Amino acid sequence: MAVYQHDVLVVGAGLAGMRATLAAQEAGADVAMITKVHPVRSHSNAAQGGINAALESRGDNWDDHAYNTVKGSDYLGDQDAIEIMCQEAGPAVVELEHMGVVFNRDENGRLGTRHFGGQEVARTFFVADITGQALLHALYEQIMKYNPRVYEEWFVTSLVIEDGKCCGVVALELMTGQIHLIKAKAVILATGGTGRCFEPSTNGLVVTADGQGLAYQVGVPLMDMEMVQYHPTTLKGNGVLMTEGARGEGGYLLNSEGERFMKTYAPNMMELASRDVVSRSEQTEINEGRGIDGCVLLDLRHLGRELIETKLAYINEVAMDFANVNLAEEPCPIRPGNHYEMGGIKTDVHGVTSMPGLYAAGECANVSVHGGNRLGANSLLDTVVFGKRAGIHAADYSRQIEQINVPDSIVSLDEGRIKSFFDKKDNTDTPATIRLAMGQAMNEGVAVFRDEAGMQAAYKTILELKDRYKRLGVHDSGKIFNTNLLFAFELGFMLDTAETICVSALARKESRGAHYRTDMPDRDDENWMKHILVQNTGEDLPTVDFSPVTVTRWEPQIRSY
Amino acid sequence: MKVAFYPGCVSKGGCPELYPATVKICEKLGIELDELEGASCTGSGVLQEKDRLLGDVLNARTFAMAEQKNLPIMTICSTCQGVMAQANKRLTDPDHPEYLEEVNTFLKDEGLEYKGTTVIKHILWILVEDFGVEQVKSSFVRKLNDLKLAPFYGCYIVRPSWALDFEDNPDRQQSLEMLIEAVGATVVDFEGKTRCCGFPILTINEKNSVSMVAKHTSTVQELGADAMVTPCPLCHLNLDGYQPKARKQSGISIHMPILHLPQLIGLALGFSPADMGLERHIISTDAITKALKESNPV
Amino acid sequence: MKVKLDVGRFNPESEGDKSFRQEFDLEVEEYYTVLDALMQVRDYEDPSLAMRCSCRASICGSCAMKINGTSGLGCNTKIVDVIKKDGTVKVDPAGNLPVVKDLVVDMEPFWSKVREIKPFLQTKGPEPQDEYIAPQQAMLDLVKPVGCIMCGACVSDCTVLEVDSNFIGPAALAKASRFIDDPRDEMNAERFAQLNQYTGVWDCTRCMACVEVCPKGVAPMDRIMTIRDQIINAGIKNTNGARHAEGFASIVKRYGTLDETQLVIKTFGVLNPIVALKNIKALFGLLPVAYRALRKNKLPPVFHHKIAGVSYIKNIFKKLGA
Repeated sequence: MAVYQHDVLVVGAGLAGMRATLAAQEAGADVAMITKVHPVRSHSNAAQGGINAALESRGDNWDDHAYNTVKGSDYLGDQDAIEIMCQEAGPAVVELEHMGVVFNRDENGRLGTRHFGGQEVARTFFVADITGQALLHALYEQIMKYNPRVYEEWFVTSLVIEDGKCCGVVALELMTGQIHLIKAKAVILATGGTGRCFEPSTNGLVVTADGQGLAYQVGVPLMDMEMVQYHPTTLKGNGVLMTEGARGEGGYLLNSEGERFMKTYAPNMMELASRDVVSRSEQTEINEGRGIDGCVLLDLRHLGRELIETKLAYINEVAMDFANVNLAEEPCPIRPGNHYEMGGIKTDVHGVTSMPGLYAAGECANVSVHGGNRLGANSLLDTVVFGKRAGIHAADYSRQIEQINVPDSIVSLDEGRIKSFFDKKDNTDTPATIRLAMGQAMNEGVAVFRDEAGMQAAYKTILELKDRYKRLGVHDSGKIFNTNLLFAFELGFMLDTAETICVSALARKESRGAHYRTDMPDRDDENWMKHILVQNTGEDLPTVDFSPVTVTRWEPQIRSY
Repeated sequence: MKVAFYPGCVSKGGCPELYPATVKICEKLGIELDELEGASCTGSGVLQEKDRLLGDVLNARTFAMAEQKNLPIMTICSTCQGVMAQANKRLTDPDHPEYLEEVNTFLKDEGLEYKGTTVIKHILWILVEDFGVEQVKSSFVRKLNDLKLAPFYGCYIVRPSWALDFEDNPDRQQSLEMLIEAVGATVVDFEGKTRCCGFPILTINEKNSVSMVAKHTSTVQELGADAMVTPCPLCHLNLDGYQPKARKQSGISIHMPILHLPQLIGLALGFSPADMGLERHIISTDAITKALKESNPV
Repeated sequence: MKVKLDVGRFNPESEGDKSFRQEFDLEVEEYYTVLDALMQVRDYEDPSLAMRCSCRASICGSCAMKINGTSGLGCNTKIVDVIKKDGTVKVDPAGNLPVVKDLVVDMEPFWSKVREIKPFLQTKGPEPQDEYIAPQQAMLDLVKPVGCIMCGACVSDCTVLEVDSNFIGPAALAKASRFIDDPRDEMNAERFAQLNQYTGVWDCTRCMACVEVCPKGVAPMDRIMTIRDQIINAGIKNTNGARHAEGFASIVKRYGTLDETQLVIKTFGVLNPIVALKNIKALFGLLPVAYRALRKNKLPPVFHHKIAGVSYIKNIFKKLGA
């Protein structure tokens, strides 16, 4: 059996994963990246609008960015972490520019900005409406330049824990169906969000909560998982995203009466209020009969064809392809749709989790900088700032410890799981049917508006599906590129993660950020200015715990836009 | 119908059989030719490599000449057709009327101005669209039902689609097959029919160019074709003229006559192979001539 | 709506080395894409059907494949737009790359060519404290090429790669162009020297297949043509390609139309002994071609005629600095 060993192993090759890899390599570690899809297929691609930073050289002030972020988080974000993110944002953006990102410029050739939701000034740097893709490819260019080992199309099936430390992973090589052990002194999870736990979702088919599931399996707590962002502008049919940049450039939201209804809900910031607020406003309009076929309208006609074709070309293409709408000519029906998980694997500001040797960064982690609601264009920032920090810290850590010896035989556990999947092939259930049922239940019960009964119903469904999952078989018995087997593994991660979302949501007895309960509509700072931690302790059901929110400078205030 | 005839350079140069064959069939079909004597080369995509504006100015000059005659341009070369169609799209882009104005400033000296009204059509499209297959068929006196013919379009008459108005004229993408069927022959369909013949890199990377000739000609030979038919004289130059080299390079014993589209139409109209200049091909067309003798009158 | 998916399949484990075709009769919604239909097959009918897909929104580049023989993305191709009269849609793996299983191809040959062109920003001297200053329009112009999602549709349909797998290919060349045109990159001389060689820009046949199939409007061939011109403008004219482009222009300038004989002479540099010597094999290779043409009375006339009004043509060239 081939021996694979590295100082640092990064799981996932989106923005956080690649940034972590480059940082660890620069810090002198032998680093490798393992990813179930080629790096440029990662879902960071789909981020459209931009990346926030208060550039001091532009007269902006990172304090203001931090305050906007704290307020956006509905005061659930840890303010020490938010301060770090906002302070490091400027250098991070400049660093990306130096790598080659073709950020939009102003007439003087300096970095240009656009306005984004929840920010009082325009501090979002962007590449048309393909910012995520531009960043992802630029980071991959750096990967090609520095050439770390990439285990491409390898899927991590479990983390290896010895002596209470994470010291590697077991992974399935998709091309051959072989199971491998990769030893590492430090493992950084950077696997992205939870989108496919919901149906529909803006997220790609690969966004299956792998990191959350892996961490949960080994007892690492997931924090604030109830905070699930519904993006205000997603297409009706397949749930594809229409960037917030469309509103940042001046787009309107209209109801069936042609009114800019946001004036009722956020008279100052209108369409650029924070996402939770806009999504709730839209859903209220729809619920009260001022929607059109379950949607409201995104109207960009007044922006003119030229702006649309230069700065919003991709969403124009998406609207044409999937909704038959030319944005320059007609308004586009949109609705709130599952988009982002604010919660995740609990880490400190260096990506360190509760398990020595295990790190997390990016959407799968919760530092927490987004709290109850993430502001648009803060997610790309989160990935590069905390990806880099995790990479540096993990490299340092790896120098201080010896590799724990792990017997090769450890892979037999996962080989056994695969065999067991194959053995159950007579069961006709499929990963797709279970996933669809899960996604619909979550979208029904744990969406924009929630209440006890709805959340309980969703949780009940998830528990039933987990039971069905135990009997799930894999029907393709091949070794080469067996996606049936891959989906069976992914589904296990998703079901565990969906459970943590339900449990957290049921635990939070107030409304805050994206967690809005119609049966408890008020924020309760006295009792609920705290994080919710959900953990697997080996029992049937997860345990719930709490931890305080770090407040440095900004005491909670009434949140209005 | 009357057309402003744009014969292109090759029908009088490397494929001298094409020009007279075209003139003959047009006379018989009733297409009156008013040749654009002072028209320049389209640039063939080569000039456009260096300078797109230059190419567009030269083509606008040709379009203006046809516009003065109030006639549509008829081309007999896929490359000419495609390059002109692309130029015309840019010149008549409703979003950028200023471009045509800019181009016209270069034509002023000669007293020319292009207003943007000229229609440019390959004879292939004229036969299928302006005449219609049935009408063309009604002029045929000879049925070529013993022949199996493979179509070969030439890149620029199939790509880029933004320049070629396929949406309004869906037949264009099957036009060659339609005419092959019209003459009574059997179509030998193959994926290579819309690929590159290799001509543009003949003098740059001859090996690759000749590999393309070998690939296409040997493929249709294997599929049982008696000949290939092309509306592009540049494809003809390569597929016919370099077939001996292709044979040598590939080691496959290929013998695949290549017909110009007007020659095929001419044979169906009753012209003799000599009238159509078939003896001027590098690859012998004897088998076609023989099949012709045995073919039936309509 | 009914559709018959006709899928080109390959499974070396269970079916051996031969690819085979399999048809799936489906009932699909009007808005279904080819990818939706394939996923319906995979998720509910035949879980062994292998393909790559992720974003479903034409941004991740996973699902390039051949649809009715032409390359494109499964996720943005609607069934209604491609269904044939007989109700079928034919789906095959991307071309010019080795097939691993069904619609999954080995992308390594693709990426190895991308790596060849040094696909990263290269600057000289120290980095500025802040961002590089770069003209607004130059950065806007780069958005299209940067929008390349590396799906490989262009490579899949490239007519040169069909006969010569050494060609760097449209995707890598478009990527190179993105750096050449980047005002921050300072390695143009090196990039030009590399791309001027065999396998580089001059090997493109200008067939437009890549322009036609690119789902993102990157138009790789147009970028290749731009690099050719940039190479010539940089004074690098030691290729048949450069001589061909310049020779073509000079002949049209002088006569108004093209003279193939003169073009051959200029391209092979016959009047320059050093160049001619380099091309000696090719020149000798021309003899039998010329002989055959002569025998068939096909050689172009020795004296090429100027068209009427050629002085105006010359003037147009002059005014445009060509």
